[in-house]
Amino acid sequence: MLRNALGKAFRFLGYTVQYGCIAHCAFEYLGGIVVCSGPSMEPTIQNSDIVFSESLSRHFYCIRKGDIVIVKSPNDPKSNICKRVIGLEGDKVCTSNPSDFLKSHSYVPKGHVWLEGDNLRNSTDSRCYGPVPYGLIRGRICLKLWPLNDFGFLRASPNGHRFLDD
Amino acid sequence: MGARVVGTCGAGGWRRARWRAGRASWAPYHCRMLRNALGKAFRFLGYTVQYGCIAHCAFEYLGGIVVCSGPSMEPTIQNSDIVFSESLSRHFYCIRKGDIVIVKSPNDPKSNICKRVIGLEGDKVCTSNPSDFLKSHSYVPKGHVWLEGDNLRNSTDSRCYGPVPYGLIRGRICLKCRTQLGLYENVEHAAAHFNCYSLNFCLLYTP
Repeated sequence: MLRNALGKAFRFLGYTVQYGCIAHCAFEYLGGIVVCSGPSMEPTIQNSDIVFSESLSRHFYCIRKGDIVIVKSPNDPKSNICKRVIGLEGDKVCTSNPSDFLKSHSYVPKGHVWLEGDNLRNSTDSRCYGPVPYGLIRGRICLKLWPLNDFGFLRASPNGHRFLDD
Repeated sequence: MGARVVGTCGAGGWRRARWRAGRASWAPYHCRMLRNALGKAFRFLGYTVQYGCIAHCAFEYLGGIVVCSGPSMEPTIQNSDIVFSESLSRHFYCIRKGDIVIVKSPNDPKSNICKRVIGLEGDKVCTSNPSDFLKSHSYVPKGHVWLEGDNLRNSTDSRCYGPVPYGLIRGRICLKCRTQLGLYENVEHAAAHFNCYSLNFCLLYTP
């Protein structure tokens, strides 16, 4: 009886590990559902919205300017943040706040991206902690799932003036 | 190929079963071969995906063998050394000062670098080179680590690109595999010399 119970326990454990690994790889390489919180991406993404993020873009290095990405926070490795890509490596970005009198610009270093939230007044982003290494990007948000009245692809940035074309 | 008839199917059931069996044997030979081949291919693909996922999770959560290249960690790790790196420390946030870690390069997300942790968040580190006259210090920001290679003269590290976010750490090196070319003399046949490789593991010295 004990041997049967042990055998069943091991088989259950084996199946759990197996399907756990497959689920982890699905999230890692394909994508997953994410619940966003915080006001820094309003009006594009509100607090408690549910979105779908795909991970193929970051593995194939296809992240573009204007994409909304999920990034491991540079200040807190245990949490993720959700911001828009304003500049890729080599791009010129405006590092000053819109309310500043003197504008200052800089170039994004190699292997980094410049992130900003859509709600510029209430967002800690690259204007605070500088350019973020590309290796911290976890996925790209492609679809909003909830609330249903806002279902579909995400809008373009309301701050078009932050994208500098040189 | 024919179905076994259960009694409740009725008197005509066995005739239907025989008809189905006859139909199956009448199907063209190459159609059945194609269905078999497709079935085997899908099963093979299924097993590959399954074991690929398990292997990936083993590397991600447990550890793996890494071949190091470059001179920046000499004399601790030479070019082409084989080391074993474990990933549990970074998931449980147990990386300590003095550990040798594998980190995704901040300048090139496609490659990994291998350096020693000199300072954790909040620590005071010396940001100037040893040859500089004026020493400058700074504090490692929250969520970052300060990395330096053991071969200070020939290493691009945090002195170049600044503190590195903790989230880029992939694993901690705990074992090095040392290969040694040795001469073994056979005592009975004094003229015979044998060359052989001896593999021994040694724990990496962490000051």
